[in-house]
Amino acid sequence: MIKLLKLEYSKFKKSQVVVLLLALFVVFLPFTVSIGEFFKELPPPMPSHKVFTNFPEIWDYLGYSGNWMVSFLFGVLIIYTITLEVSYKTLRQSLIIGMTRRSYYLSKLYVVITLSVFATIFYTLVTLIVGFINTPNPTMELAFTNDWAIPRFFLMCLGYLTFAMMIAFLVRNSALSVFVYLAVLYFIEPLVRLAHRKWIGTDFLNYYPMNSIEDLMPNPLYRIADYVKINDSSFLMPYETAAALTVLYIAIFVAISYRSFLKRDL
Amino acid sequence: MEVLRINNLSKNYGSIRALDNLNMTVRSGEIMGILGPNGSGKTTTLGILLGILKPDSGNFTWFENQYENPRLRIGSILETPNFFPYMDADENLDIVRQIKGIDNKDFDEYLELVRLKGRRKSKFKTYSLGMKQRLAIAATLIGKPDVVIFDEPTNGLDPEGIAEVRRTLQDVASQGKTVIMASHILDEVEKICSHVSIIKRGKLLASGNVGAILSDDLIIDIASANMPNLQRFLEIYPGINKIIRNKEVLECTASNDLDVGELNITAIKQGVRITHLVARKTRLEEEFLKITNRPTSK
Repeated sequence: MIKLLKLEYSKFKKSQVVVLLLALFVVFLPFTVSIGEFFKELPPPMPSHKVFTNFPEIWDYLGYSGNWMVSFLFGVLIIYTITLEVSYKTLRQSLIIGMTRRSYYLSKLYVVITLSVFATIFYTLVTLIVGFINTPNPTMELAFTNDWAIPRFFLMCLGYLTFAMMIAFLVRNSALSVFVYLAVLYFIEPLVRLAHRKWIGTDFLNYYPMNSIEDLMPNPLYRIADYVKINDSSFLMPYETAAALTVLYIAIFVAISYRSFLKRDL
Repeated sequence: MEVLRINNLSKNYGSIRALDNLNMTVRSGEIMGILGPNGSGKTTTLGILLGILKPDSGNFTWFENQYENPRLRIGSILETPNFFPYMDADENLDIVRQIKGIDNKDFDEYLELVRLKGRRKSKFKTYSLGMKQRLAIAATLIGKPDVVIFDEPTNGLDPEGIAEVRRTLQDVASQGKTVIMASHILDEVEKICSHVSIIKRGKLLASGNVGAILSDDLIIDIASANMPNLQRFLEIYPGINKIIRNKEVLECTASNDLDVGELNITAIKQGVRITHLVARKTRLEEEFLKITNRPTSK
Protein backbone atom coordinates (compact mmCIF):
# COMPACT_ATOMS: atom_id res chain seq x y z
CA MET A 1 0.00 0.00 0.00
CA ILE A 2 2.77 2.44 1.00
CA LYS A 3 4.64 1.69 -2.24
CA LEU A 4 1.57 2.45 -4.35
CA LEU A 5 0.81 5.62 -2.40
CA LYS A 6 4.42 6.80 -2.85
CA LEU A 7 4.02 6.21 -6.58
CA GLU A 8 0.82 8.29 -6.67
CA TYR A 9 2.52 11.02 -4.65
CA SER A 10 5.41 11.11 -7.15
CA LYS A 11 2.94 11.48 -10.00
CA PHE A 12 0.88 14.33 -8.60
CA LYS A 13 3.05 16.28 -6.12
CA LYS A 14 3.83 18.76 -8.90
CA SER A 15 0.35 18.93 -10.37
CA GLN A 16 -0.92 22.49 -9.89
CA VAL A 17 -4.55 21.37 -10.10
CA VAL A 18 -4.14 18.81 -7.31
CA VAL A 19 -2.28 21.29 -5.08
CA LEU A 20 -4.92 23.96 -5.75
CA LEU A 21 -7.86 21.67 -4.91
CA LEU A 22 -6.19 20.52 -1.67
CA ALA A 23 -5.36 24.12 -0.74
CA LEU A 24 -8.95 25.25 -1.36
CA PHE A 25 -10.23 22.57 1.01
CA VAL A 26 -7.70 23.42 3.71
CA VAL A 27 -8.34 27.17 3.46
CA PHE A 28 -12.10 27.21 3.02
CA LEU A 29 -13.29 24.55 5.46
CA PRO A 30 -12.26 26.56 8.55
CA PHE A 31 -13.51 29.72 6.87
CA THR A 32 -17.07 28.36 6.52
CA VAL A 33 -17.72 28.48 10.28
CA SER A 34 -17.69 32.25 10.04
CA ILE A 35 -20.71 32.09 7.71
CA GLY A 36 -22.79 31.63 10.88
CA GLU A 37 -21.92 35.17 11.84
CA PHE A 38 -24.12 36.43 9.00
CA PHE A 39 -27.25 34.95 10.61
CA LYS A 40 -28.20 37.34 13.38
CA GLU A 41 -31.58 35.76 14.14
CA LEU A 42 -32.39 32.11 13.79
CA PRO A 43 -35.70 30.24 13.94
CA PRO A 44 -36.49 28.04 16.94
CA PRO A 45 -35.27 25.65 18.28
CA MET A 46 -31.91 27.32 17.57
CA PRO A 47 -31.03 29.79 20.31
CA SER A 48 -28.48 31.97 18.49
CA HIS A 49 -25.93 32.01 15.71
CA LYS A 50 -23.38 30.86 18.28
CA VAL A 51 -24.46 27.28 17.56
CA PHE A 52 -22.36 27.44 14.40
CA THR A 53 -19.15 27.59 16.44
CA ASN A 54 -20.07 25.88 19.73
CA PHE A 55 -19.96 22.27 20.82
CA PRO A 56 -21.77 20.06 20.06
CA GLU A 57 -23.55 21.71 17.11
CA ILE A 58 -20.32 22.69 15.35
CA TRP A 59 -19.82 19.02 14.40
CA ASP A 60 -23.01 19.21 12.29
CA TYR A 61 -22.38 22.63 10.76
CA LEU A 62 -18.76 22.06 9.86
CA GLY A 63 -19.64 18.53 8.77
CA TYR A 64 -22.20 19.89 6.35
CA SER A 65 -19.67 22.39 4.97
CA GLY A 66 -17.26 19.48 4.61
CA ASN A 67 -19.99 17.56 2.80
CA TRP A 68 -20.10 20.20 0.05
CA MET A 69 -16.36 20.65 -0.12
CA VAL A 70 -15.45 16.99 -0.20
CA SER A 71 -18.12 16.19 -2.78
CA PHE A 72 -17.01 19.05 -5.02
CA LEU A 73 -13.29 19.64 -4.50
CA PHE A 74 -12.12 16.13 -3.70
CA GLY A 75 -14.60 14.51 -6.10
CA VAL A 76 -13.11 16.61 -8.91
CA LEU A 77 -9.59 15.85 -7.63
CA ILE A 78 -10.16 12.08 -7.80
CA ILE A 79 -11.67 12.35 -11.29
CA TYR A 80 -8.74 14.52 -12.38
CA THR A 81 -6.05 12.14 -11.12
CA ILE A 82 -7.64 9.18 -12.90
CA THR A 83 -8.72 10.75 -16.19
CA LEU A 84 -5.49 12.75 -16.51
CA GLU A 85 -3.63 9.45 -16.71
CA VAL A 86 -6.00 8.32 -19.45
CA SER A 87 -5.40 11.47 -21.51
CA TYR A 88 -1.62 11.46 -20.95
CA LYS A 89 -1.69 7.69 -21.67
CA THR A 90 0.39 7.14 -18.54
CA LEU A 91 -2.28 4.65 -17.45
CA ARG A 92 -1.45 2.48 -20.47
CA GLN A 93 2.23 3.09 -19.90
CA SER A 94 2.02 1.98 -16.26
CA LEU A 95 0.59 -1.37 -17.36
CA ILE A 96 3.05 -1.69 -20.23
CA ILE A 97 5.94 -1.11 -17.83
CA GLY A 98 4.74 -3.90 -15.60
CA MET A 99 1.98 -2.81 -13.22
CA THR A 100 -0.88 -5.25 -13.00
CA ARG A 101 -4.37 -3.86 -13.54
CA ARG A 102 -5.16 -4.83 -9.95
CA SER A 103 -2.20 -2.84 -8.58
CA TYR A 104 -3.10 0.15 -10.70
CA TYR A 105 -6.71 0.06 -9.49
CA LEU A 106 -5.58 -0.37 -5.88
CA SER A 107 -3.27 2.64 -6.18
CA LYS A 108 -6.28 4.80 -7.06
CA LEU A 109 -8.45 3.22 -4.36
CA TYR A 110 -5.72 3.89 -1.78
CA VAL A 111 -5.69 7.55 -2.85
CA VAL A 112 -9.45 7.65 -2.24
CA ILE A 113 -9.00 6.14 1.23
CA THR A 114 -6.04 8.38 2.08
CA LEU A 115 -7.87 11.50 0.95
CA SER A 116 -10.89 10.46 3.04
CA VAL A 117 -8.66 9.93 6.09
CA PHE A 118 -6.98 13.30 5.49
CA ALA A 119 -10.32 15.14 5.13
CA THR A 120 -11.68 13.47 8.26
CA ILE A 121 -8.61 14.30 10.35
CA PHE A 122 -8.67 17.91 9.13
CA TYR A 123 -12.41 18.22 9.84
CA THR A 124 -11.89 16.79 13.34
CA LEU A 125 -8.99 19.13 14.12
CA VAL A 126 -10.74 22.26 12.83
CA THR A 127 -13.92 21.35 14.72
CA LEU A 128 -12.05 20.77 17.97
CA ILE A 129 -9.98 23.95 17.68
CA VAL A 130 -12.90 26.22 16.74
CA GLY A 131 -15.18 24.51 19.28
CA PHE A 132 -12.73 24.83 22.17
CA ILE A 133 -12.07 28.49 21.35
CA ASN A 134 -15.73 29.48 21.12
CA THR A 135 -17.67 27.20 23.50
CA PRO A 136 -18.11 28.62 26.99
CA ASN A 137 -16.71 26.18 29.59
CA PRO A 138 -15.87 23.40 27.13
CA THR A 139 -15.27 19.90 28.44
CA MET A 140 -13.88 16.84 26.67
CA GLU A 141 -17.19 15.10 27.18
CA LEU A 142 -19.10 17.96 25.54
CA ALA A 143 -16.47 18.22 22.79
CA PHE A 144 -17.01 14.62 21.77
CA THR A 145 -20.79 14.57 22.11
CA ASN A 146 -21.14 14.33 18.37
CA ASP A 147 -23.27 11.30 17.51
CA TRP A 148 -20.39 9.45 15.76
CA ALA A 149 -19.68 12.48 13.58
CA ILE A 150 -16.07 11.45 12.85
CA PRO A 151 -16.82 7.98 11.39
CA ARG A 152 -19.88 9.43 9.63
CA PHE A 153 -17.71 12.08 7.99
CA PHE A 154 -15.16 9.45 6.91
CA LEU A 155 -17.86 7.22 5.44
CA MET A 156 -19.35 10.21 3.62
CA CYS A 157 -15.95 11.04 2.07
CA LEU A 158 -15.48 7.43 1.03
CA GLY A 159 -18.97 7.39 -0.50
CA TYR A 160 -18.48 10.49 -2.64
CA LEU A 161 -14.94 9.63 -3.67
CA THR A 162 -15.63 6.01 -4.64
CA PHE A 163 -18.53 7.33 -6.72
CA ALA A 164 -16.21 9.87 -8.39
CA MET A 165 -13.67 7.10 -8.98
CA MET A 166 -16.31 4.90 -10.60
CA ILE A 167 -17.42 7.71 -12.93
CA ALA A 168 -13.79 8.42 -13.88
CA PHE A 169 -13.05 4.76 -14.68
CA LEU A 170 -16.27 4.39 -16.67
CA VAL A 171 -16.28 7.68 -18.59
CA ARG A 172 -12.47 8.25 -18.79
CA ASN A 173 -12.75 11.71 -20.38
CA SER A 174 -11.88 14.45 -17.86
CA ALA A 175 -14.47 17.09 -18.71
CA LEU A 176 -17.25 14.59 -19.34
CA SER A 177 -16.51 12.73 -16.10
CA VAL A 178 -16.68 15.92 -14.04
CA PHE A 179 -19.91 16.87 -15.82
CA VAL A 180 -21.53 13.47 -15.23
CA TYR A 181 -20.39 13.38 -11.61
CA LEU A 182 -21.69 16.85 -10.77
CA ALA A 183 -24.85 16.34 -12.82
CA VAL A 184 -25.75 13.15 -10.92
CA LEU A 185 -24.91 14.78 -7.62
CA TYR A 186 -26.71 18.09 -8.05
CA PHE A 187 -29.32 17.62 -10.78
CA ILE A 188 -30.08 14.10 -11.97
CA GLU A 189 -30.65 12.40 -8.62
CA PRO A 190 -32.65 15.32 -7.18
CA LEU A 191 -34.81 15.30 -10.33
CA VAL A 192 -35.29 11.53 -10.13
CA ARG A 193 -36.27 11.90 -6.49
CA LEU A 194 -38.72 14.61 -7.44
CA ALA A 195 -40.29 12.28 -10.00
CA HIS A 196 -40.23 9.45 -7.44
CA ARG A 197 -42.08 11.63 -4.96
CA LYS A 198 -44.65 12.61 -7.57
CA TRP A 199 -45.31 9.18 -9.09
CA ILE A 200 -44.42 6.69 -6.37
CA GLY A 201 -44.72 8.65 -3.15
CA THR A 202 -42.41 8.97 -0.18
CA ASP A 203 -41.61 5.24 0.25
CA PHE A 204 -37.84 4.67 -0.20
CA LEU A 205 -37.51 8.31 -1.34
CA ASN A 206 -34.41 8.86 0.80
CA TYR A 207 -32.61 5.67 -0.23
CA TYR A 208 -30.95 7.04 -3.38
CA PRO A 209 -27.13 6.83 -3.37
CA MET A 210 -26.14 10.49 -3.24
CA ASN A 211 -28.91 11.24 -0.76
CA SER A 212 -27.83 8.36 1.48
CA ILE A 213 -24.27 9.65 1.48
CA GLU A 214 -25.39 13.22 2.08
CA ASP A 215 -27.58 12.15 5.01
CA LEU A 216 -24.46 11.08 6.89
CA MET A 217 -23.62 14.77 7.26
CA PRO A 218 -26.91 16.46 6.40
CA ASN A 219 -27.95 20.06 6.25
CA PRO A 220 -28.59 20.83 9.96
CA LEU A 221 -31.59 22.95 8.99
CA TYR A 222 -33.37 19.78 7.83
CA ARG A 223 -33.45 18.66 11.46
CA ILE A 224 -35.32 21.89 12.22
CA ALA A 225 -37.67 21.27 9.30
CA ASP A 226 -38.35 17.81 10.70
CA TYR A 227 -38.77 19.31 14.18
CA VAL A 228 -41.37 21.84 13.09
CA LYS A 229 -42.99 19.24 10.75
CA ILE A 230 -43.11 21.39 7.63
CA ASN A 231 -43.06 18.34 5.42
CA ASP A 232 -45.31 15.27 5.15
CA SER A 233 -42.33 12.93 5.54
CA SER A 234 -38.91 13.07 7.13
CA PHE A 235 -36.19 14.84 5.14
CA LEU A 236 -33.56 12.66 6.70
CA MET A 237 -32.81 9.02 7.40
CA PRO A 238 -31.54 7.81 10.75
CA TYR A 239 -27.73 7.83 10.69
CA GLU A 240 -27.60 4.03 11.02
CA THR A 241 -29.71 3.58 7.88
CA ALA A 242 -27.68 6.17 5.94
CA ALA A 243 -24.45 4.47 7.05
CA ALA A 244 -25.65 0.99 6.06
CA LEU A 245 -26.83 2.21 2.66
CA THR A 246 -23.59 4.13 2.07
CA VAL A 247 -21.51 1.04 2.82
CA LEU A 248 -23.65 -0.88 0.33
CA TYR A 249 -23.26 1.83 -2.33
CA ILE A 250 -19.48 2.02 -1.76
CA ALA A 251 -19.27 -1.73 -2.35
CA ILE A 252 -21.28 -1.33 -5.56
CA PHE A 253 -19.16 1.61 -6.82
CA VAL A 254 -15.93 -0.28 -6.13
CA ALA A 255 -17.22 -3.50 -7.70
CA ILE A 256 -18.42 -1.75 -10.88
CA SER A 257 -15.27 0.32 -11.37
CA TYR A 258 -12.95 -2.61 -10.64
CA ARG A 259 -14.78 -4.99 -12.95
CA SER A 260 -14.94 -2.41 -15.74
CA PHE A 261 -11.22 -1.60 -15.38
CA LEU A 262 -10.20 -5.26 -15.46
CA LYS A 263 -12.26 -6.09 -18.52
CA ARG A 264 -11.87 -3.11 -20.83
CA ASP A 265 -9.30 -2.35 -23.47
CA LEU A 266 -7.19 0.61 -22.45
CA MET B 1 15.12 -20.02 -25.22
CA GLU B 2 11.72 -19.01 -26.52
CA VAL B 3 11.11 -15.46 -25.35
CA LEU B 4 7.66 -15.18 -26.86
CA ARG B 5 5.17 -17.60 -28.33
CA ILE B 6 1.86 -16.40 -29.76
CA ASN B 7 -0.82 -19.02 -30.40
CA ASN B 8 -3.83 -18.30 -32.63
CA LEU B 9 -4.37 -14.78 -31.34
CA SER B 10 -7.56 -13.12 -32.61
CA LYS B 11 -9.06 -9.73 -31.91
CA ASN B 12 -12.04 -7.92 -33.39
CA TYR B 13 -12.96 -4.25 -33.16
CA GLY B 14 -16.67 -4.50 -33.85
CA SER B 15 -16.96 -6.00 -37.32
CA ILE B 16 -13.28 -5.37 -38.13
CA ARG B 17 -10.98 -8.35 -37.68
CA ALA B 18 -7.72 -6.85 -36.40
CA LEU B 19 -5.96 -10.15 -35.65
CA ASP B 20 -6.83 -13.42 -37.30
CA ASN B 21 -5.33 -16.50 -35.62
CA LEU B 22 -1.89 -14.96 -35.45
CA ASN B 23 1.01 -17.24 -34.59
CA MET B 24 4.56 -16.10 -33.97
CA THR B 25 7.68 -17.09 -32.07
CA VAL B 26 10.60 -14.95 -30.95
CA ARG B 27 13.77 -16.53 -29.62
CA SER B 28 16.30 -15.08 -27.24
CA GLY B 29 18.77 -12.69 -28.88
CA GLU B 30 16.70 -12.10 -32.01
CA ILE B 31 15.93 -8.60 -33.20
CA MET B 32 12.48 -9.27 -34.56
CA GLY B 33 10.80 -6.76 -36.82
CA ILE B 34 7.04 -7.00 -37.12
CA LEU B 35 6.51 -5.58 -40.55
CA GLY B 36 3.21 -4.74 -42.13
CA PRO B 37 1.22 -1.98 -43.77
CA ASN B 38 -0.68 0.53 -41.63
CA GLY B 39 -3.65 -1.16 -40.00
CA SER B 40 -2.19 -4.64 -40.37
CA GLY B 41 -2.48 -5.40 -36.65
CA LYS B 42 1.04 -4.66 -35.43
CA THR B 43 0.07 -2.31 -32.59
CA THR B 44 -2.91 -4.47 -31.66
CA THR B 45 -0.56 -7.45 -31.34
CA LEU B 46 1.83 -5.52 -29.12
CA GLY B 47 -1.09 -4.04 -27.12
CA ILE B 48 -2.31 -7.55 -26.31
CA LEU B 49 1.19 -8.79 -25.48
CA LEU B 50 1.65 -5.86 -23.10
CA GLY B 51 -1.66 -6.28 -21.30
CA ILE B 52 -3.57 -3.20 -22.40
CA LEU B 53 -5.84 -4.94 -24.90
CA LYS B 54 -7.81 -8.12 -24.33
CA PRO B 55 -7.73 -10.79 -27.04
CA ASP B 56 -10.99 -12.37 -28.16
CA SER B 57 -9.30 -15.75 -28.44
CA GLY B 58 -5.89 -17.35 -28.48
CA ASN B 59 -3.06 -16.92 -25.99
CA PHE B 60 0.61 -16.11 -25.66
CA THR B 61 3.46 -16.93 -23.31
CA TRP B 62 6.46 -14.81 -22.32
CA PHE B 63 9.71 -16.51 -21.28
CA GLU B 64 8.09 -19.95 -21.42
CA ASN B 65 5.92 -18.95 -18.43
CA GLN B 66 8.90 -18.75 -16.11
CA TYR B 67 7.92 -15.49 -14.43
CA GLU B 68 4.82 -14.39 -12.54
CA ASN B 69 4.87 -10.87 -14.01
CA PRO B 70 6.89 -11.07 -17.25
CA ARG B 71 6.18 -7.43 -18.14
CA LEU B 72 8.61 -6.35 -15.42
CA ARG B 73 11.34 -7.94 -17.57
CA ILE B 74 10.23 -6.12 -20.72
CA GLY B 75 10.87 -2.52 -21.68
CA SER B 76 8.41 -1.08 -24.19
CA ILE B 77 7.29 1.90 -26.18
CA LEU B 78 3.82 1.55 -27.65
CA GLU B 79 2.82 4.19 -30.23
CA THR B 80 3.75 7.50 -28.59
CA PRO B 81 6.06 8.33 -25.67
CA ASN B 82 3.79 8.60 -22.63
CA PHE B 83 5.03 10.72 -19.75
CA PHE B 84 3.80 13.41 -17.36
CA PRO B 85 4.35 16.70 -19.21
CA TYR B 86 4.88 18.75 -16.04
CA MET B 87 7.77 16.54 -14.87
CA ASP B 88 11.39 16.47 -16.01
CA ALA B 89 13.27 13.45 -17.37
CA ASP B 90 14.56 12.29 -13.99
CA GLU B 91 11.12 12.51 -12.37
CA ASN B 92 9.47 10.63 -15.22
CA LEU B 93 12.13 7.94 -15.18
CA ASP B 94 11.68 7.68 -11.42
CA ILE B 95 8.01 6.74 -11.95
CA VAL B 96 9.18 3.92 -14.23
CA ARG B 97 11.77 2.88 -11.64
CA GLN B 98 9.16 2.69 -8.89
CA ILE B 99 6.81 0.60 -11.02
CA LYS B 100 9.64 -1.76 -11.94
CA GLY B 101 10.53 -2.03 -8.25
CA ILE B 102 14.17 -1.03 -8.73
CA ASP B 103 16.20 0.67 -5.99
CA ASN B 104 18.90 2.32 -8.11
CA LYS B 105 17.90 5.95 -8.73
CA ASP B 106 20.87 6.71 -10.97
CA PHE B 107 19.67 7.28 -14.53
CA ASP B 108 22.99 8.65 -15.92
CA GLU B 109 23.74 5.53 -17.95
CA TYR B 110 20.35 5.60 -19.70
CA LEU B 111 20.28 9.34 -20.31
CA GLU B 112 23.78 9.17 -21.70
CA LEU B 113 22.84 6.41 -24.13
CA VAL B 114 19.96 8.49 -25.51
CA ARG B 115 21.95 11.74 -25.37
CA LEU B 116 19.57 13.55 -23.01
CA LYS B 117 21.83 14.11 -20.02
CA GLY B 118 22.08 17.83 -20.74
CA ARG B 119 18.27 18.24 -20.76
CA ARG B 120 17.45 15.97 -17.82
CA LYS B 121 16.03 18.84 -15.74
CA SER B 122 13.82 20.23 -18.51
CA LYS B 123 10.12 19.49 -18.34
CA PHE B 124 8.93 16.76 -20.72
CA LYS B 125 6.52 19.19 -22.41
CA THR B 126 9.48 21.28 -23.61
CA TYR B 127 11.08 18.36 -25.50
CA SER B 128 11.03 17.95 -29.27
CA LEU B 129 9.35 14.80 -30.61
CA GLY B 130 12.75 13.18 -31.18
CA MET B 131 13.80 13.92 -27.59
CA LYS B 132 10.51 12.53 -26.29
CA GLN B 133 11.08 9.38 -28.27
CA ARG B 134 14.62 9.07 -26.97
CA LEU B 135 13.42 9.52 -23.38
CA ALA B 136 10.95 6.72 -24.03
CA ILE B 137 13.84 4.54 -25.23
CA ALA B 138 15.75 5.39 -22.03
CA ALA B 139 12.67 4.39 -20.01
CA THR B 140 12.52 1.01 -21.75
CA LEU B 141 16.05 0.24 -20.58
CA ILE B 142 15.47 0.88 -16.87
CA GLY B 143 15.96 -2.32 -14.91
CA LYS B 144 17.98 -3.81 -17.78
CA PRO B 145 15.09 -5.77 -19.31
CA ASP B 146 15.65 -9.00 -21.21
CA VAL B 147 13.35 -7.86 -24.01
CA VAL B 148 12.68 -4.42 -25.45
CA ILE B 149 9.68 -3.62 -27.63
CA PHE B 150 9.46 -0.62 -29.94
CA ASP B 151 6.33 0.27 -31.85
CA GLU B 152 6.94 2.50 -34.85
CA PRO B 153 9.87 4.18 -33.08
CA THR B 154 10.56 6.74 -35.80
CA ASN B 155 6.96 7.71 -36.52
CA GLY B 156 6.50 11.44 -36.95
CA LEU B 157 10.21 12.27 -36.66
CA ASP B 158 12.16 14.48 -39.03
CA PRO B 159 15.13 12.92 -40.89
CA GLU B 160 17.56 14.01 -38.19
CA GLY B 161 15.30 12.58 -35.46
CA ILE B 162 14.96 9.34 -37.42
CA ALA B 163 18.74 9.04 -37.70
CA GLU B 164 19.17 9.75 -33.96
CA VAL B 165 16.55 7.21 -32.90
CA ARG B 166 17.90 4.56 -35.28
CA ARG B 167 21.40 5.07 -33.92
CA THR B 168 20.05 4.64 -30.39
CA LEU B 169 18.11 1.51 -31.38
CA GLN B 170 21.21 0.01 -32.95
CA ASP B 171 23.14 0.76 -29.74
CA VAL B 172 20.41 -1.01 -27.75
CA ALA B 173 20.38 -3.96 -30.13
CA SER B 174 24.17 -4.28 -29.91
CA GLN B 175 23.82 -4.88 -26.15
CA GLY B 176 22.57 -8.37 -26.96
CA LYS B 177 18.97 -7.85 -25.85
CA THR B 178 16.02 -9.46 -27.57
CA VAL B 179 14.30 -6.68 -29.48
CA ILE B 180 10.81 -6.71 -30.97
CA MET B 181 10.11 -3.79 -33.26
CA ALA B 182 6.91 -3.06 -35.14
CA SER B 183 7.24 -0.91 -38.22
CA HIS B 184 5.79 -0.29 -41.62
CA ILE B 185 9.13 1.07 -42.85
CA LEU B 186 10.97 -1.67 -44.71
CA ASP B 187 14.29 0.14 -44.68
CA GLU B 188 14.13 0.57 -40.90
CA VAL B 189 13.49 -3.11 -40.28
CA GLU B 190 16.21 -4.15 -42.69
CA LYS B 191 18.76 -1.86 -41.04
CA ILE B 192 18.03 -2.89 -37.47
CA CYS B 193 16.45 -6.35 -37.36
CA SER B 194 17.88 -9.85 -37.66
CA HIS B 195 14.47 -11.48 -38.11
CA VAL B 196 11.18 -10.35 -39.50
CA SER B 197 7.53 -11.35 -39.37
CA ILE B 198 5.30 -9.88 -42.04
CA ILE B 199 1.64 -9.46 -41.15
CA LYS B 200 -1.31 -8.16 -43.05
CA ARG B 201 -4.92 -7.91 -41.90
CA GLY B 202 -3.90 -9.63 -38.69
CA LYS B 203 -2.50 -12.71 -40.40
CA LEU B 204 1.12 -13.83 -40.42
CA LEU B 205 2.25 -14.02 -44.05
CA ALA B 206 5.93 -14.81 -43.62
CA SER B 207 8.53 -15.14 -40.91
CA GLY B 208 12.25 -15.74 -40.86
CA ASN B 209 15.58 -13.99 -40.80
CA VAL B 210 15.81 -10.68 -42.60
CA GLY B 211 18.38 -12.00 -45.02
CA ALA B 212 16.02 -14.72 -46.13
CA ILE B 213 12.98 -12.56 -46.51
CA LEU B 214 14.13 -9.14 -47.50
CA SER B 215 17.46 -9.26 -49.26
CA ASP B 216 18.49 -10.24 -52.75
CA ASP B 217 21.30 -12.36 -51.36
CA LEU B 218 21.30 -16.08 -51.82
CA ILE B 219 20.06 -18.01 -48.81
CA ILE B 220 21.33 -21.54 -48.33
CA ASP B 221 19.90 -23.94 -45.77
CA ILE B 222 22.48 -26.60 -45.20
CA ALA B 223 22.85 -29.53 -42.79
CA SER B 224 25.23 -32.36 -42.09
CA ALA B 225 25.50 -35.23 -39.64
CA ASN B 226 28.53 -33.38 -38.24
CA MET B 227 27.29 -29.81 -37.80
CA PRO B 228 30.38 -28.32 -36.05
CA ASN B 229 32.53 -29.64 -38.90
CA LEU B 230 30.11 -28.18 -41.45
CA GLN B 231 30.12 -24.82 -39.68
CA ARG B 232 33.94 -24.68 -39.66
CA PHE B 233 33.93 -25.44 -43.39
CA LEU B 234 31.36 -22.74 -44.16
CA GLU B 235 33.05 -20.09 -42.04
CA ILE B 236 36.03 -20.03 -44.35
CA TYR B 237 34.22 -20.80 -47.62
CA PRO B 238 34.44 -17.83 -50.02
CA GLY B 239 31.14 -16.01 -50.60
CA ILE B 240 29.41 -17.07 -47.35
CA ASN B 241 28.67 -13.84 -45.50
CA LYS B 242 26.63 -14.86 -42.49
CA ILE B 243 25.76 -18.13 -40.75
CA ILE B 244 22.83 -18.54 -38.38
CA ARG B 245 22.15 -21.78 -36.50
CA ASN B 246 18.46 -22.44 -37.00
CA LYS B 247 17.20 -25.65 -35.38
CA GLU B 248 18.65 -28.52 -37.41
CA VAL B 249 20.13 -26.48 -40.25
CA LEU B 250 22.64 -23.71 -40.76
CA GLU B 251 21.06 -20.78 -42.54
CA CYS B 252 23.73 -19.08 -44.63
CA THR B 253 23.52 -15.75 -46.36
CA ALA B 254 25.76 -15.83 -49.41
CA SER B 255 26.68 -13.67 -52.38
CA ASN B 256 24.12 -14.22 -55.10
CA ASP B 257 26.81 -15.41 -57.54
CA LEU B 258 27.88 -18.31 -55.32
CA ASP B 259 27.81 -21.65 -57.14
CA VAL B 260 25.96 -24.08 -54.85
CA GLY B 261 27.04 -27.13 -56.90
CA GLU B 262 30.68 -26.15 -56.49
CA LEU B 263 30.11 -25.71 -52.73
CA ASN B 264 28.68 -29.24 -52.55
CA ILE B 265 31.62 -30.78 -54.45
CA THR B 266 34.18 -28.88 -52.32
CA ALA B 267 32.47 -30.04 -49.14
CA ILE B 268 32.59 -33.71 -50.23
CA LYS B 269 36.27 -33.35 -51.17
CA GLN B 270 37.00 -32.00 -47.69
CA GLY B 271 35.10 -34.85 -46.01
CA VAL B 272 31.97 -32.85 -45.06
CA ARG B 273 28.96 -34.99 -45.92
CA ILE B 274 26.00 -32.71 -46.65
CA THR B 275 22.60 -34.23 -45.82
CA HIS B 276 20.44 -31.21 -46.64
CA LEU B 277 21.06 -28.41 -49.11
CA VAL B 278 18.48 -25.86 -50.22
CA ALA B 279 19.36 -22.62 -51.97
CA ARG B 280 16.83 -19.85 -52.48
CA LYS B 281 16.81 -16.28 -53.68
CA THR B 282 14.75 -13.35 -52.47
CA ARG B 283 14.45 -9.79 -53.66
CA LEU B 284 14.22 -6.76 -51.51
CA GLU B 285 11.12 -4.59 -51.61
CA GLU B 286 9.46 -6.63 -54.33
CA GLU B 287 9.44 -9.57 -51.94
CA PHE B 288 7.64 -7.61 -49.24
CA LEU B 289 5.13 -6.23 -51.72
CA LYS B 290 4.66 -9.68 -53.20
CA ILE B 291 3.99 -11.12 -49.76
CA THR B 292 1.67 -8.37 -48.58
CA ASN B 293 -0.21 -8.18 -51.86
CA ARG B 294 -0.80 -11.91 -51.91
CA PRO B 295 -4.54 -12.52 -51.39
CA THR B 296 -5.22 -13.65 -47.83
CA SER B 297 -7.88 -16.23 -47.12
CA LYS B 298 -10.83 -14.96 -45.09
